[in-house]
Amino acid sequence: MCMVVLDEPIKGVLEVMNYIDGEWVESGSEEYREVVNPATMRTLAKVPIGCAEDVEAAVGAAQEAFPAWRRTTPLTRARYFFRLKELLEEHFETVSRVCTMEHGKIIDESRGEVRRGIENVEVASGIPSLMMGYNLEDISTGIDEAVIKQPLGVFACIAPFNFPFMVPLWFMPIAVATGNTYVIKPSPWTPLSMVKLMELVEEAGFPPGVINTVNGDAEPVQAILQHPKVKGVSFVGSTKIGRDVVYREGASRGKRVQAQCSAKNFLVIMPDADVESTVSGLLSSFFGNTGQRCLAGANLVMVGDDQKFIEGFLAKVKKAAQGIRIGYGLDEGVQMGPLQAVPRKKRVAEYIEKGIEEGAKLALDGRKYDSGPYPRDCFLGPSIFHGVQPDMAIAKEEIFGPIMSVLHVGDLGEAIEMVNASNYGNAASIFTGSGKAARKFQYEVECGNIGVNIGTVAPMAFFPFSGMKDSFFGDLHGQGRDAIDFFTENKVVIQRWP
Amino acid sequence: MIKTTSQLISLHAKLEEEAAEKLRALAQRHPEAAEALNRLADENIQHRDTVTRVYREGVTDAFEVGYMSKPLNEGDYTINELEGPLKEAVRTALLNEDAVIKFCLDASRDANQLIPSLPQTFSSLAKRKEKRKALLDSLV
Repeated sequence: MCMVVLDEPIKGVLEVMNYIDGEWVESGSEEYREVVNPATMRTLAKVPIGCAEDVEAAVGAAQEAFPAWRRTTPLTRARYFFRLKELLEEHFETVSRVCTMEHGKIIDESRGEVRRGIENVEVASGIPSLMMGYNLEDISTGIDEAVIKQPLGVFACIAPFNFPFMVPLWFMPIAVATGNTYVIKPSPWTPLSMVKLMELVEEAGFPPGVINTVNGDAEPVQAILQHPKVKGVSFVGSTKIGRDVVYREGASRGKRVQAQCSAKNFLVIMPDADVESTVSGLLSSFFGNTGQRCLAGANLVMVGDDQKFIEGFLAKVKKAAQGIRIGYGLDEGVQMGPLQAVPRKKRVAEYIEKGIEEGAKLALDGRKYDSGPYPRDCFLGPSIFHGVQPDMAIAKEEIFGPIMSVLHVGDLGEAIEMVNASNYGNAASIFTGSGKAARKFQYEVECGNIGVNIGTVAPMAFFPFSGMKDSFFGDLHGQGRDAIDFFTENKVVIQRWP
Repeated sequence: MIKTTSQLISLHAKLEEEAAEKLRALAQRHPEAAEALNRLADENIQHRDTVTRVYREGVTDAFEVGYMSKPLNEGDYTINELEGPLKEAVRTALLNEDAVIKFCLDASRDANQLIPSLPQTFSSLAKRKEKRKALLDSLV
């Protein structure tokens, strides 16, 4: 059972094309890069690095499609998403396996990612209710006032490598269901999930130009940010790019921007935490998706001076982490896949070196692992550092890999101070049996997503994916009611009929 | 060892499919019991589909999934050939039923760390399977 490897849906080497105006078209760029399966190192596809002309064509098609799409009734727009949802269910397994092949995550994680994407499509299918404005009769005698929500035009998404299927679906369905048209720029590292999505978009019968993709690297990103017809941009990626490029360039040109960025997430363990359920939750938070999540656990904060509890707890965590089986995500028995690419492994390995140099104790060395029959290029096992100090780089900087840093504080107040001292504010969790402690944590911690007795949590499609400080730039977050407001303009109408 | 949700779902599907296949083969050999045996086989496939659906609808990265603290052992659940005369074959079918029920109960106990919606489904399946043993018993 543990060596069952699922069939790969990608057999040869694909040539990735852009989907613009309802057609599959070649990029104007003649340069290509390879898309590699990080577990097997087999080349899966060639993707163009893209150019400004590609963006011009996609935005032009989206702009041309906008007036008719805007006039399409919300109910009709919703029905396109019902069809897309049916197709996604039908192709659920294929899409999930493509995601594993290009990213490396295990099949359960890919299926979870695809499910989260579908949930956003489901929410968008409710747009006739979600998009309603509000009104009040007789604001003065015989005069009525109303707010109506109108689409703005062309929106775009610049997507990351770590959730190649789900992240574009955080934004596109609500944007399009509210009457806008859309351009997706997938990560050049993982463009294949979006190829599958666009095949299904085409099959669902969305009118040409309503949803488009442009593949590539930096040049298409700049072109999107500089294009005067792009009304708003959703971005997920590093703080450096999100703040210094996307937010500054986009906002300075009057675009709406939501930039979801880096993180350093803390999980706080109180002495009264339930050990069994907490350990299981921690593994997924720290090592799920091989730590390549902006919601990954990074710092484990042990509270109090009960050494027996702390040592016993950490021993269980280490034992469980040691037992994690590493390998190809299409092998059903594998619990952690590779890093997504060779440079990402190199970066994480450098942080392991840095942690040792800074004086932390490497209690579990992820550089020693067994990846079975698969090449070692991108694999690393889980690493655990003990004795980490808050000023160490491994405690402050986003690593984006399977490393747990263990810190110690005297009480909950100190733990909250430590969390709030971080530049980032994406997520934090507390594990405790005390409602009072949980409330204090929820009330005082400066993070956008809080977990209580649950690992770092990702909000569902009907709630906003929040984030604070250097983890988010913009005003309105992705998903939930925020998304409706982000993708629509409130128009106020006051009328009197003599 | 069964440590991931995907493995758990695959093993369940395998047990239900094997049980169904053997019941259908027995039905072919014994037309007098075919209606009941084929009905039970159809139910096995329905049970497989129910679990797969609950898994696909419940799998998520919104909260922790994927790590079982007490892995299950695949070897603890075996579906045997239904050989010999009808009575003997049905007795073996009852043992097969017990094997799947044991799997469902074990999965119900331990699957909470994988997907919160799975334990209830497995528990409910175990109850339904326990009830349908009466139909098999009636063939002995």
